[in-house]
Amino acid sequence: MPRFVKATTFAIAVSALAVAQSSAAPRTEPQPQVQLPEVHLDAIGLSPRPIEELTGTTIARHYALAWHDLALGFESDQADGLDEEFVGFARDRLMQRIDEQKQTGVHVRILDHGHHLRAVFYSMDGTAMQLADHVQLEIQTFDGNKLVDTQNSPHDYIVLMTPGADRWYVRDLQEVSAKPF
Amino acid sequence: MKNTPRCYFTLCKRVIGLALCFVLPGWASGAELHVPATVEAGRTVSIPVPGSGQATFYLVGPDVVVKRGVNLGSDLQIQSSDIRTAGFYRVIVCDSSSACSSATFEVKAAQPAHLSFFLHPSRVPVSFPDSIDATAFVFDQYYNLVLTPVAVDFRITPASGASFSRQVPTRNGVAWMRMGSTPHEGAVEVTAVSGKVEEARVIQQVAAEACEVRMKAVTSGKTVTLETDPVRDCSGNAVPDGTVVSFTKIDRAGKSTVDTPIKKDVARAQFSVEGPARVSVACGVVLGNEVDVNGKL
Repeated sequence: MPRFVKATTFAIAVSALAVAQSSAAPRTEPQPQVQLPEVHLDAIGLSPRPIEELTGTTIARHYALAWHDLALGFESDQADGLDEEFVGFARDRLMQRIDEQKQTGVHVRILDHGHHLRAVFYSMDGTAMQLADHVQLEIQTFDGNKLVDTQNSPHDYIVLMTPGADRWYVRDLQEVSAKPF
Repeated sequence: MKNTPRCYFTLCKRVIGLALCFVLPGWASGAELHVPATVEAGRTVSIPVPGSGQATFYLVGPDVVVKRGVNLGSDLQIQSSDIRTAGFYRVIVCDSSSACSSATFEVKAAQPAHLSFFLHPSRVPVSFPDSIDATAFVFDQYYNLVLTPVAVDFRITPASGASFSRQVPTRNGVAWMRMGSTPHEGAVEVTAVSGKVEEARVIQQVAAEACEVRMKAVTSGKTVTLETDPVRDCSGNAVPDGTVVSFTKIDRAGKSTVDTPIKKDVARAQFSVEGPARVSVACGVVLGNEVDVNGKL
């Protein structure tokens, strides 16, 4: 029987996790330690379905991994890691973005100062969870090696996550104007 | 005080430093760009770029990166195909002296054009409260979630009985509702409608648990044949074929039970009896009537 929790805050405050821990699929080679952004998930008042404790922990962890992979992809122009945490529109759009970065020689470095994630909708059948993310990001845009722009500002995202076989995937990631959700 | 070369050097450093104080802000920020605060997805945008000469224009968005040369002092055209995805776009213009200006604008979803509609579960017993959940995500033609509240009509058409609807406004692009199943079995079509967009799903309502079970017995020698009346739920729907009915006989030989599936609304069983016997019938949690059979020794 799943364990439901009414008022919950989940946190992935541990900033260093082995990539191997993030996947149920065993990896044969030892994986390097990666720095994950801090993610605090607030699930207070979530409706219409309450969140299970394990689900909350899993979502916070995989959302942190998703942002790690996104930042890595934008900086290195490598889209290989995106399949691990993104599906659907989110994956397709990020793939296209990285492809266009490669074509133009532009890349982006993201310094992630932590996410405050709030679960706002969890469907009764457990197949979709919508979350609002408030994050402070420093975004540096480079043309080749030349820094052409720096932004250090708060950003807000509306996120749709759906469960897969062994994890929750980011299915939609849409930046929105700051507003109370 | 004599103007030694060292003093000249110090003076020069101060002058250069002072000059940089005026020059650097211009280098860092360049000329100001005026961009619209918000744009609808898939629309063309025109941004005036002040100054003269050549510059490099960058557009960095959720799924797009554009880099091209532009002439300062003219309008910069951003193609509709470059801003189809909702989100924030960064416009950067760097002139030949590497002075860069930047600005951000938001692209918002266009009108609703697609519904992603989930109906759960696929089968449900009749007259069961809060058993059906309908969730609709509203997207525009570019599959951006439409965050502006819009009304979603959930139109419910049962196999028999009157249709009805419930209107729910979206919140963050999602509308959902929960309802009980209707009293009659059969297919129920639920259609989510938002503006000109609609998506239909079908849910199968099946009979609920049996409401009452009654049987009759016909004896022939040492054999008793049992047959139930048509087994129905409390709304009068026939309980589905395959539902198990249990007949239990107690006589001198002891107790024995036969589990038999309903076939064409009724369940049948046959026992051999040793002397007087009592037979009972049950379906699920519902206990039916009992029949006394006076078998001969």
